Parts: sequence; structure tokens; C-alpha cells
Amino acid sequence: MNKLYLYKYGLTLLLLFFSFTLFAQKNVFTGKVVDERNLPLPGASILIKETNQSAISDKDGAFQIQNPNLKTLTLSISFVGYDAIEKVIRANQPLTVSLNPNARSLSDVVVVGYGTVKKSDLTGAVATISSKDLNPGPITNPLQQLAGKAAGVNVTQTGSEPGTAPSVRIRGITSLIGGNDPLVVVDGVQGNMDLLGQVPPSEIESVDVLKDASATAIYGSRGAPGVIIVTTKKNKAGTSSIEYTTNNSVDVIPRKLKELNADEWKQQAQLYSVPASTDHGANTDWYDLLTRTGFTQNHTLAFGGGANGFNYRASLAAILQNGTVIHSNYKNYIGRIQATQKALGDNLTLTMNLNSGINDANYSPTGIGRASFTSNLISNAYVARPTDPVYNADGSYYTDPNVFQYINPLAVANTVVNETKVDNLFGSLRADLKLFKGLTAGWFGSWRKVDGNSGYYLPVASTVQTAIDNQGIANINNYHNDEKLMDLSLNYKEDFGDHHVDAIAVYEEQGQTYNGNFAQAKGFVNDIATFNALQLGDLSKVTPGDITSYKNDRHLVSFLGRVNYSYLGRYLFTASFRRDGSSVFGANHKWGNFPSASVAWRIDQEPFMKDQEIFSNLKLRGGYGVTGNQQGLSPQSSLQLVGSAGVTYFGGSPISNFVVSQNANPDLRWETRKQTNIGIDFGFLKNRLNGTIDAYTATTSNLLFNYTVPQPPYPYPSIAANVGSILNKGLELTLSYQLIKTTNTLLTIGGNASLLKNKVLNLSGSINGVPLNTNYVSWGPTGVVTNAYLIKGQPIGTFYILQHSGKDAANAETVVDQNKDGIIDQGNQSPDRVIEGSAIPKYTYAFTPTFSYKNFDASMVWRGSGGNKIYNTLRSNLSYFENLGKANVLESAVPLGIYTSQYASDQWLESGAFLRWENISFGYRIKTERIKYISSLRVSLTGSNLLVITKYSGIDPELAADGGTSSGVDNGIYPRTRTFSIGLNVVLK
Amino acid sequence: MKKIITSILILCLGTQSCKKVNENVYDKYPAADFYASAKGADVALANVYSQIAGNWGVGYAGADNCWYDLNTMSSDEQVIPHRNTGDWQLDFAQLYLRQWLPSATIVGNTWTWLYKSVYTANLAVDQLQQSKADASKIAEAKVLRAFFYYLLIDDFGSVPFYTDNNITVDKIPQSSRAEVFNFIVKELTENVDLLSETKGGTYYGRFNKWAGYALLAKVYLNAEVYTGTAKWNECLAACNKIATAGYTLHPGAANAASPLGYQYYELFGDRCPDDETILAIYVTENIISRNIYALRSVNGPNGVAMFGFSGWNGTIVPHNFYNTFADNDIRKKQFLVGPQPGGVTYTLDVNSLDNPGAGPTEGIRDVKFYPVPPQDGSGESNDFPIYRYADILLMQAECNVRLGNAGAAKPFVDQVRQRAGLAALAANPTLNDVYNERGVELSWEGHRRQDMIRFNTFLLAHDFAPAVPSFRLLFPIPTSALNANTSLKQNPGY
Repeated sequence: MNKLYLYKYGLTLLLLFFSFTLFAQKNVFTGKVVDERNLPLPGASILIKETNQSAISDKDGAFQIQNPNLKTLTLSISFVGYDAIEKVIRANQPLTVSLNPNARSLSDVVVVGYGTVKKSDLTGAVATISSKDLNPGPITNPLQQLAGKAAGVNVTQTGSEPGTAPSVRIRGITSLIGGNDPLVVVDGVQGNMDLLGQVPPSEIESVDVLKDASATAIYGSRGAPGVIIVTTKKNKAGTSSIEYTTNNSVDVIPRKLKELNADEWKQQAQLYSVPASTDHGANTDWYDLLTRTGFTQNHTLAFGGGANGFNYRASLAAILQNGTVIHSNYKNYIGRIQATQKALGDNLTLTMNLNSGINDANYSPTGIGRASFTSNLISNAYVARPTDPVYNADGSYYTDPNVFQYINPLAVANTVVNETKVDNLFGSLRADLKLFKGLTAGWFGSWRKVDGNSGYYLPVASTVQTAIDNQGIANINNYHNDEKLMDLSLNYKEDFGDHHVDAIAVYEEQGQTYNGNFAQAKGFVNDIATFNALQLGDLSKVTPGDITSYKNDRHLVSFLGRVNYSYLGRYLFTASFRRDGSSVFGANHKWGNFPSASVAWRIDQEPFMKDQEIFSNLKLRGGYGVTGNQQGLSPQSSLQLVGSAGVTYFGGSPISNFVVSQNANPDLRWETRKQTNIGIDFGFLKNRLNGTIDAYTATTSNLLFNYTVPQPPYPYPSIAANVGSILNKGLELTLSYQLIKTTNTLLTIGGNASLLKNKVLNLSGSINGVPLNTNYVSWGPTGVVTNAYLIKGQPIGTFYILQHSGKDAANAETVVDQNKDGIIDQGNQSPDRVIEGSAIPKYTYAFTPTFSYKNFDASMVWRGSGGNKIYNTLRSNLSYFENLGKANVLESAVPLGIYTSQYASDQWLESGAFLRWENISFGYRIKTERIKYISSLRVSLTGSNLLVITKYSGIDPELAADGGTSSGVDNGIYPRTRTFSIGLNVVLK
Repeated sequence: MKKIITSILILCLGTQSCKKVNENVYDKYPAADFYASAKGADVALANVYSQIAGNWGVGYAGADNCWYDLNTMSSDEQVIPHRNTGDWQLDFAQLYLRQWLPSATIVGNTWTWLYKSVYTANLAVDQLQQSKADASKIAEAKVLRAFFYYLLIDDFGSVPFYTDNNITVDKIPQSSRAEVFNFIVKELTENVDLLSETKGGTYYGRFNKWAGYALLAKVYLNAEVYTGTAKWNECLAACNKIATAGYTLHPGAANAASPLGYQYYELFGDRCPDDETILAIYVTENIISRNIYALRSVNGPNGVAMFGFSGWNGTIVPHNFYNTFADNDIRKKQFLVGPQPGGVTYTLDVNSLDNPGAGPTEGIRDVKFYPVPPQDGSGESNDFPIYRYADILLMQAECNVRLGNAGAAKPFVDQVRQRAGLAALAANPTLNDVYNERGVELSWEGHRRQDMIRFNTFLLAHDFAPAVPSFRLLFPIPTSALNANTSLKQNPGY
């Protein structure tokens, strides 16, 4: 420190000396401020140390300073979001100053609901990921950019089917009935997760994840599962640029299940006396036939410009994927334009966003095949015998009539048409008007329309039994979603001495309308028209359910307000309140209140901390808030309605049948989540070590669920009601340490970890004084054995399961008779079951080092989770030798030698822990100073999903962990790919 | 500041907003208005009948995993063995071996279906009364309700009893089998005479007066089992009412156009003939109900060869039950044994029902419900007879034998035998003759378990199934029902 001062003052003295010795003359200092990509930074502030004067860079990033006395000046140059830099400039020697974006600047602005705050003033738990920290590589959905990047934000990608988005859970499972998907807000437009698919990944400026209730309560009834706020790139004021970004990858299947080949199958068939008639003499690798090398391309062309009070950015993005399963592909084109205009003496700001996208997907067929293997087509490749030929002698696809519901997987892949096209359009307009000092009025409106249509054709040639029975099945499905939002706001921001106040009041209305139709025809003479001409089908084959349509809507009306108050910049207080009315609730409970409050104390700003140098940042935070969930509940759930129920025979002819569709519940209401969060943000050693720790506890009460009701008198054994409660507790840690920090080199090691404890507190209670006894509710896909349950006092998705004990003389599996009554009861509450873990991970972690040296940079993500179990249904189905006559089995089944089993035992329950090398990326910024038209050029190489360390025997341990009913069960997934990609980013002058 | 602004906003927008959160319904009907119309009344009644139609896991008969499987697989007439090819779960073999547990899926499905049906019937009674519908329609709904309660006490014994849907569970007592029996008898005797006397036509598939009496006769026939007190005379009286309605046995003559070569099988064909059928379930595959019983029995290539759709290779007929059919009995044509079209040979016996299971082509198959179109791989369109005149004749025979009038019983039995191509009995029928004739005539029609219990053969051993203790005469109340209503008492022995 002292040395530096000495140097500075020494230098100054020296300069003074020179200036006195030489006669005073007009010295001109010119320079230019650019960003890390050599783009001009207009508006950068330049402080002249010697004179305390300041200057601002112009629209080209240029500045000019005149000083009669000095030959050299020391400039301190700063720009929001960039590390400030000091440079010495000599007169008449133009200087280009390149600023680097700062890692985690305390002055960063964090987007919270209905506004922004400085990161240093934040009182809630919010994770901010800026564009440079997002995962690189062949990204097809913005969520993939977040995997491993924020503690408590668990992104799960199940398989790599083109066009399928990952799921995300923020701080665990908050609801059982649905509505665990966070609210997505893209530049103010609110929507469900599918809204993210509408954002070009390369056009994201930053993502803010609101985690705790004090942050999310401002979104009230939609805030319970957390909020993901996406801010897209905007043109920097006063600049113009053209930018092209691309990423192209080769996608391969890193791991496949080891099954018997034809020779091994024959050997085992002989051993188990499988009739020779089941051996059809071929040698077929079905998996190989159904898979290929995939390709993913991502292109974005963006340009923007602006002048005084006007600014725009437009972009066109294309995401093109060819999947690793044949015939599966996906195309997503997104065009967007954003414009800002100021008027009324800069008092009125208009910002308009328009975004239009076209999705075009061919999905690999699902729900096809023999009863136990209906999850997807690729799993049918595992089932097919290796000794079955692909084709008959006449060239048609081979089938075996002796096997019930036999399908030829290649025939399905080649002949089934499964297209989905979705058109997305959303637009918004924001108007902000400064009324007088500190007071701004705002209007915001957004409208989003989604028009989807899918066509499906299952021809006779597919070998699927229902297709053969019906001579081909074709259907089309159209749906239209219409989501509108309008709000009016008043914002007041003012400093009164040491007091700072930032308050906002908002009135908001939302309307969502959903309608659609479905039509199906069967019995086609040939396959030429596929689903394009339903009238070509045999209309006498129309059955109930072949023609349907629907329409429903949902309205939300909200009043909300928030006050941020700070005193002396170190005592921070935030309170918010929201009152929501929603149409989906029962007549008695339309309205709900969602308050929150949080406080923070910036200890490092206290006078008594002035003289210490250990802490460069230290802040304590604490907050409490109430949020709701209504999005998980379908409209009309509270009413007793009469709906269609097919056809019945009455009065001598078939007539339309109607039923009372559900139990009415006028008391249906908000599911409320109360969350308390305490956190600490710290920085040591001049912020070389930064970190955040958060601890929270959240209880969802009035838990919406389909509770068990006694039958009689209820016509259905369950009713949607608010009775139980669940608890989530967790601890989150984020750390980053700049291990090496020199002028040219920066090595940061960072990571995050979170612990999550989840418990079903209660599922029983009463409705209208009638006791409900809900417990041991099967928590799995209907009709599939998963052994996962909701049990009071246990985590969601607890495995309650029979214990494998071996096999008997006939090689039939045996299980432990826990209560020793001689009977193995497989019922839900059987005393023969034991608790063996849960489907939901208890911990997740990520390690995210980054490195840069001059123009070279590298980054890596490792992430993992564990403490969960997976029920490997696929493995159990591929392990019984009694199936050998009609199917293949796994190599791992041979040593087990189980012929048959009447149980779904823990033999197939496995640990779901894994550590994945998510990606590694290398980038190099090529020097472009001498290239006439290029201001920046960066190339990168990325490898993704390079390694998975796990004991799990299935194809990939990352299965749906979303708390939905298929959590923790492996019915076979679309292959998860390993990708190698090359990326390019060019900015033209 | 904030408060003021908020208050202003509330004032401006509040009144308007409240309306905005009311629910709009576009694609369904509000229940209250719907049933008040005359058409609504028919719909309410039709909906009760729609409960009887069989579909996956629900209904009286036609599909699987509900009442029909529970009451036939637990007898000696049919079973689906687990196959050593890994096909078929053990649920059916466990029913046949009388090893069912309170957690068994089929037990639970039957309970759920029956109580949903009772609810629907209660709703129809209520809606019809409120809309002042025709007395015959109200009576019809009440008879339907009695039908479901009869099925409930037959399977489960003492059951929760209620007739008004607007009630909470604590107000629903578990009534004794005798109490519910008395309710059924009272409800039927009060209402059957109000029912229409029309046979077939607009009353096909509905409770007309004769179907009402057939139900009453069934209830009386089993009165001794339900209450300990026999009601043979009352049963006979109810049967005699039906006899006045002009029902006859459908001809049994050979006819190449009929399924399996005999007119007899038209009883189980596309439409149950009005001459003999008293109550039937109307079936059109994939539209109203379905009938899977032939398809479920035969194997894949055999099904394709015989009627163009792959069979499921499921149900077999136990060898000893098959043996109760005489070789010259046209009713034996329903069975498939030995070489069959499609290159399949069915054996008489199966080696194992559960572990390791039966071989793929083992066991006798049954195509009594020889498929009629429209059909596909998930069922056919054969209607299903619930009550038919042959059953009534055999009930008359049984009552007479039990009342000591074996002579009076003989013509009834002989009629049924002669229609099937058999000679009249040489001597007056014994109870065993009636029992055997019932088994042969009414096989696979859902009567066997009840008959076996009434004739005291249910607990005895038969092919593969060892003798079992008497608590197996009732099914257990399903675990799910006990859990949801803790005041329910499980049947003894479970």
C-alpha cells in the first residue's frame, strides 16, 4: 500500500517538476474505452487523479482531455459491471483502454420482481448468473445454461431428446399436486417453463433466480416454487454492432446397456429350456439400428444500434438438432426485436419487445410396445430378441405372432409420424413516465400466444397391434394458449439524508385462456396421407374420445406493494405485500394475502470495520415470506360439473353419457408456503474469496392434493383439497476464490453445494368435519410398480419396499417375510415392506473453476447429487429369464439367474448418486486490431457430459427428480448424449 | 404513500376485480341445471346403466379386473394361469387358489366400482324424484340400487349402507348382511311392479318388471346364505311371475350361420335374443363396454386364424370342470382342446398355475362368447346376459328339489338339457343334478361362485386349489376402504 502511494506521489511530483520546467502548453490526451470484445463503451467515467476532474466517453467510447500543465495523466476509468482500471496516459499518444467485466461486483444490479436493486442492497436470497457464467456448448434451452451454476437450483436433464427441456426445482418440492415449476419472467413477461424455450440462449444477458420467500412473495400466488427472471441482451446506448454466434456439436451416446448378443442369447435359451421355436436365427443389434450420431447447431445473428434517446436490438436465432435416435429432430427459430425510445425531455421511456418463434419437432414415439415397456421407443430396442430378424423374406418388417403385442422397433421408428409444431409469439410494451422528482408511473402490458399443433400417424406397417387392429390410426391435436398481463405501477425513489426509500405499488391483472381440439380417425386404405386427411379414414370406426375439444381460463387480479428502505447504506429493510384473487379457487376462498419482510445489515460498512482488512464484504440477511400456489391447479377444480362420459345404451339405442366429473369443493384454496431464510454474504482478502451461505426452512400448508376419501359416500376415492403439509429445510453454500490473480492471469475456483431435507408432515385431517386418512399414497406413474410412497414423517417419494432375500429351488425370487406370518402382502401398507430411502436427492454440489490467461480462457463444470434412490424398473424387466422366449435380457441378469418373480423388490433399488463432468470449454480471443471489419473474434471448443461417476447400473442416473409422479423410477430413457462442439463469436465493426 | 396509492387503486379497480375472479365454464354443464330437464332425467338413469357396462377395472362383466373376474376366477370354472413365458400376473391364479388378500387389486376394484354405482344410483333416484319424473323411472333407479347392494352383500357380507349422497361417512353404518338383505327385498317388492313390462326394444339392457323379478328371485334364492333363513317359496313365487311373461328357451338347433354351429350360441352373440334373455349388457366394442372373454382365452396365432385378431393367451378351463360336460352336449362346443387353426395345440392340463407357470399352449380354452364384430385386439361386441330364462328354470328346479318336490323340478331341468341336445334325466333330479346343470348351462356367466357357496362346494378342493377355511366364503373388505374409514370392521379371518 505504502509503496504504491509513494510511487504515485513520486510520479506526480516528477510530472509537476517537468511541467514547471517546460513551458506550459496545451496538451491533448485522447483515448478510447472498449470492452473485452473491443466494442466501444460509451458513458464510461474517467477520473483524472491529478486534478480530480472527470470526463465521460462518447458514443464511440472516445474521450478527449486537455491539460495545459501535465504531460502525462493518471486516469481511473470505470463502467458499471466492469472492473475499474488505472492507466497512465501521455499527451498526444492515443490510448485504447480495455475494460474487463467484473466477476462479482457489489455494484451489480440484481433484477427482482417489479424492479431492480443493487446487489449490495439485496435482502433476500437471489442467485444471479450473468451471461459469461452460463454453461457453454450446444445449448438448446436456457435451463441447460444454469446446471450447476446456483446453489439450491437443481436442473435435471433426463435424456437428450431433441426439443425436450430439462426440469428445474428451486429449493425442493413445494407442492404435491403440481405447480413445482418456477415462475419464469422474461423481460417482464410472466409465464410457465415453456416460455424459456422461447428465449435464444445466446441472447441472455443475465438470469436471476429468486429463491427465498422474501424475494418471491412479490409474485404472490405464483411465487411459491421460486422465480427465474431472464433479462435479455440490450443494445448498449449509443453503439451499433452486428454479432454472429454459433455453436456446432457432434452428439454421441456414451453408454448403453449391456445385453446378450445372439450367441449368448442362444446359450442362455438352451440353459433355461426355452423352446427352439423362439429362435428366429438372426443376429440383430436393435439398439445400433435405432441410434446414430446426432448433431446440434446453434446460430444467432444479432444487431443493434441507437442514437440519442433511441436504441434497438434485433436478433434471429436457429437451434437445429438431429437426435441420436433415428428420425428424431428439432428445429427452433426465434426472431426478436427490442426497441427503446425516450421522449418528453427524457421523462418518458417506451420499451417494446417482440418475440416470435417457430418450433418444429419430430419426436421419437412414446407409449408404444409391450405393457411394461411403454416409456419410449428406444427401450423397445432393449426388449427385442437379438435373434429376431429385422425383415421378412418379402422385405416387410418381421413380427412374431406368438409374442403378445410384439413390435418391431425399427418398423416403429421408420414408419410412425409424430410431428409437433408450435408457434410462439409474445410482445410487451413498457411505459415509464417520470412525474416529478423520484416518482415514476409505469404501465406494462404483455401478450403471449402459443399455437401448437401435432400430428400423429401409426400405420399398419409399424407392427403395433392397435395399428393393425384399426388399419392405421391418425390424429391431430391443436391447442391455443393465450396469456395476457397488464400492470399499472407507481414507483417512488428518494434519498432523505441518510435515509433511502424505494417504494412501488402495482395493480396487476392476468388472464390466461386455453382451448384446443383433438380429432382422430382409424382405418386407412394406405399410408399416403398420414394424418393430413382424417376424412380418408373409415368414419364408421369413430369411437368416443376420437373428437374432443376444450376451453378453460384463469384470471388473476393482484394488488401489490413493496418498500425498500435503507439507513446509512448499511441497515436495509424490505417489506412487500400482495393480495391476489384467482378464479380457480372455490367460491369461499378466492382471495389470498402474501406478505413478506426482510432485513439486512452490511457489517462491513460500519465505522468499527473501517480499520480491518480481513473482510472486504460482510452482510447478514434474514427474511420471511408467504407465497402461494395456484398455477398447479387446473381451472374448474372446485366446481361440480357435468362432463361427457362416452356413450351408453339406453332406451334401445346408444346415447351420449354424462357424469358428474368431480367432487365439488367450494373450500378449495391457496396452497401457502411460509419460508424463513437467513443468509450471510462475505468477501475476504479484497474480495479474492467470496461466498454466500443461506439456510432456510419452508413449510407448505393447506397442501393441495388428491386426498383419499372414504368410499362410500364419495363416488371417487379421492378429492382435491387443502389438508396436509410438507416441509423443506436446506442449507446452501456458494464460494469462489481467485487463486491466481495477476495482470494476465486469473484462476478462480468456485463451486456451490446444497443440502435439502424434505418431509411429509401430514396428509390427514378432515374436510367438513369428515376425517380423512390419507397415508401410504403410491407416488408413481399409475399402473407401474415403483414402490415410492408419500408417508407421513418421511420424505416425498420414500421407497417402501419388499426386501429381496434370494431365490428358491425353481429360481423364483424370494423376499423377506418381515412380519413372519407366512404371507407376503404386496399391499400399500403391507407390514412386509420396509423403508429404504427416497427418490429425491439429499444433496447437490458443483465445482466450477474458470481460468483466463491473456486472450485464452477455460472453464469447467463438475456437478453431482446424491442421497437418493432409483427404482430400476427397466433392469428388473430385463432380468427375468422366463422372458427369454420373447425378449432379451441384460448381461447382468446371467449371474443373478432369477427365472421369475412375483415381487417388485429392492433388488432393483439402486443408489442414484452421481458426479458428472458436465463440461469443459476452451476459448481464444483472436486479436483483431488489424482486421478492418472485425472488432472481436472468439473461437471456443466445448465438451459436454464427458464423464459420469456413478454406481447406478442404468443408462444415466439423472432421471426426473422433479417431484412429479415419475420421480425416481427408470423405465428407460432417451439416450443422454456426450457432445463435442466448436463455437464462434464474431462482432463486426 | 404506498397505502394511499393502494387505496386509490383498490377504490378504482376493486369492485371490477371481484367479478374478474369468478370462474367461467365453457366446456362443461353445471350439474344443478343439467338434471332438472326431462332429458336430464333419462341421462341420470342411463348413467347408472353405464356403470354396469364393463371396462378396464370397472363394471359387471365384459372386461377384466373387476366383479366378473372376482366372481368367476374364485370358482372352479376358469382361471388365468401365470405363463412360464412371463405373461400374466399372479392376481388371477391367487383368486383361483383362494389366496386373495385384502390388498388385492381386483377386490379393491370391485368395491370401488360397486360403491361408485351406488352413488350414481342414489344420485339418479334423487334427481328423478326432484324433477318429478315418471314413477317407473324412479322405480327403475331404485331397483338398480338394490341390484348393486345385492352384489355387495353377496361378495362382502356386512357393508356400509346409505341411500342419500348428501351424507358424511360417520353417518353411514356398516349394516349387517341381513339388514341390507331386508332393504333389498323391501325396495324390490315395492318397486318391481312399477317397472315396464316391455321386453326388448327400448327396454333391452334395462330392468323391466321381469328383470326386477329375476333379481328378487336371486336374492331369495341365496337368502339362506345371507340371513340363515331360506326363502325357497318366495324365490319360486318370483320365478313364477317371470314364467307368465312368455319367455322361452332360445332354440339349440344346429345352424351353420350361428357361432360354433348352433343357434344356442346366439345367446352369447351380437345381441342376446329377446325370447330367452331377461337382462343383458349391450356391447359395441370400443364404444359401449367390451367383451374380452374369448380373445383373452385363445393364444395369438389361434386368434388371428379364427377371427383375425391376436389372442391374449389367458384364461383356461380347469380339466375337471371341462369333464362335467357330456361329449354330446352342444354346450361342450365352447371349448377348444387339441389342434386348432393357427397351428396351435391346446392340452387338457396345465402343469402349473403360478410358479413357474403354465406352458404357452397348455390348458383348455373357451370361446362361448365367440367374437362378433365390431371387434379388435382389445375385445369384441358380444352382449353379455345377466339373467336369462334357462337360469330361471333351473332356479325353479332347485327350489322345488329343496322343498321336496323333485318331481316338479324334473321338467325344468329336462327343458334345459334337451335344448342342449341331451336326453331328459332318467330319474327325478337331485340337488347335485341341478348344481351340475347350472354349472354346464351357466358357465362363464358369473353365477358359479354364488352357486358353489349355496351348494356347499365352494370350500372344497378342486384342480390345483386346496380346500380352504370358511372365512373364504366372503371376500375381505379392501385395505383401502378400511384405511379411509377406520370404523369399518373387516370380515373375520382376514
